[in-house]
Amino acid sequence: MSVLLDELSRVLIQGIGGRFGQFVAGDAAAYGTNIVAGTAPGRRVTEVETIPVFESVKAAREVTGADMAAIFIPASLALDPVLEAIEAGIATVFYPGDGLPVRDAIEMRAAARANGVTLVGPNAPGIISPGKAKIGLMPSFCYRPGPVGVVSRSGSLSYEVCWRLSNAGVGQTTVIGIGGDPVKGMTAGEAVALLHGDPATRAILFLGEIGGGDEYEVAEYAAQTTAKPVAALLAGRGAPPGKKMGHAAALVEGYADTHAAKVEALREARVHIALRLSEIYAAVNAALGAA
Amino acid sequence: MLLPEVDGKRLLRAGGIAVPRGFSARSPATLERRRFTFPVAVKAQVAAGGRGKAGGVIKASTLDAAKEAVADIIGRRFGGETCETTLVEEWLTVCRELYLSVTVDGGAGGYVALYSPKGGVDVEGGTPPARYAVGLPGEFRGHRMREVLAQVETDDRLRERVISLSRRLMSLAAARDCITIEINPLVLLANGDLVAADAKVVMDEAAGFRSADIRAAQNREQRKEPNAIRRALQGRLMLVWLDGEVGLLSAGAGMTMAAMDTILDFGGRPACFLDCSANPTPKGYRLAFDLLDAAENVRVILVNIFGGGVHMDRVARAMRAIMTDAPPKKPVVFRLNGTHADQIPKIFAQAALINHGALEDAVEEAIAIAAGQR
Repeated sequence: MSVLLDELSRVLIQGIGGRFGQFVAGDAAAYGTNIVAGTAPGRRVTEVETIPVFESVKAAREVTGADMAAIFIPASLALDPVLEAIEAGIATVFYPGDGLPVRDAIEMRAAARANGVTLVGPNAPGIISPGKAKIGLMPSFCYRPGPVGVVSRSGSLSYEVCWRLSNAGVGQTTVIGIGGDPVKGMTAGEAVALLHGDPATRAILFLGEIGGGDEYEVAEYAAQTTAKPVAALLAGRGAPPGKKMGHAAALVEGYADTHAAKVEALREARVHIALRLSEIYAAVNAALGAA
Repeated sequence: MLLPEVDGKRLLRAGGIAVPRGFSARSPATLERRRFTFPVAVKAQVAAGGRGKAGGVIKASTLDAAKEAVADIIGRRFGGETCETTLVEEWLTVCRELYLSVTVDGGAGGYVALYSPKGGVDVEGGTPPARYAVGLPGEFRGHRMREVLAQVETDDRLRERVISLSRRLMSLAAARDCITIEINPLVLLANGDLVAADAKVVMDEAAGFRSADIRAAQNREQRKEPNAIRRALQGRLMLVWLDGEVGLLSAGAGMTMAAMDTILDFGGRPACFLDCSANPTPKGYRLAFDLLDAAENVRVILVNIFGGGVHMDRVARAMRAIMTDAPPKKPVVFRLNGTHADQIPKIFAQAALINHGALEDAVEEAIAIAAGQR
């Protein structure tokens, strides 16, 4: 099985007329994703690569039964389309954009919660259930089907790590990019809980970094006696304090934000730690061995 | 982005929050042109914390003493930063110092309000403040704040004043795209009034597109940055200098940090965190190379990009053009992978460039070059 997305998901792409929207529509469809509809307000298009384009998310959902929305619209314009998807009754909403004002992220997150909608993003690469469906920017060749559920704060690092695992013969159930912003829809704790409920996921790999509280949520999960085995790699061992390292949340302000503190907390929770990329296979294998 | 105290206080005043009367003084002469009453506080304007303990706040009761204080503070260093200007304010007769802030907290999924009945210079070492997780700013409720305050603040009349102040701070933070508004100390005067004696206001740079204030503050900050950082910011590159010799040109925060960690693992030291993901264009890469070429400590440039939304055929072509037309003076080691990576070998072969398959191989090669071994 998998979580959030599979070959039966009916995906709507908002902003399908733009460069990213068009690329993702073609790329995801080629991977097997069932792209059923698009929206592109103001663009006067009725179809993009045979995908019908609708006036609104509501109209698209009513006609096509779309249950997932992926929104490829720049951060400065993103709040309204994301709220539109959330209020149109779409079950899972994915927003990848970076540079979103935190106030807008707060609104999106609150609206998703109030409407019982799963929001993934902002500043996130996408979701892929290898062999079934993908939505987002990740290169397809990095993934293969298998028993590991992956949760990542970083896009590019997740490509690198999954590519290494896939090359070593270790595939994935679902890879969820939760994003690098401090306020986001799905947190690491929620993503891990979702994978916990997936019978096909035998072990969970978490890719974290300095700053923020996601790593502690994962540690809290892993410490439970019923938890699935967890492996983790945290980026930023060599990052200086007080400097924002690209991601808005990747900032060491106090000891709890540091690589050392997080590794310690995860180790205490019996998480299999890879201190470097070259140890990732061993850590994941150890987690699978403990399953 | 942290606003200078004087700008932070201007923002507070506009939001209906009391701040001390005062003005900026860049030199003692400024004081002769202003009218004010003594005593005053002369305060160093620096971003670094711990200013009070380091002698950056001086009480002055005469014009001569105030001028001397300004002269004394300007040019002094506080936490590695040279003080260039002071803020001269009316001296507050403090009944009590409190701590109040609203700030974005990932765990709360939005804003939190924090209050401590003991503010001032030692607040960071003391007991953590009482915390009200508000979330959406519009969901601030006075009665919830009252419950939180009741745990730490015994003065019920003061509590009510803090509640109304907190609501104002919350509205202000939301309306002006502030990530943090911290008032420490919040001063309780003998008449029961509350005055923001200091202001740490952090604005959300991502909201620059809808705020002239934020853009102006960004421009001011950029002018203060060293030349290279300013050029990087203007070119939408994320650059943090470190002090090593491997000039890392990468993309994506997590990948860039992981590459830094890998360099350290192999006994090298990264010269920078340089994330080009926001501007993955020939111009962006050109700028990145120029910055690394100009940096004295950089002995080798390591390009490590694993692109998803960034298509690697385009990146490879951009790199080939740079290496053919005007290559950097310093040796360059490539490791490119990602979407359309299958096209890289052909594109690179035309210019006899080598692309490493594994990050570790590229890192080893770069470190060897930096050490003069290759």
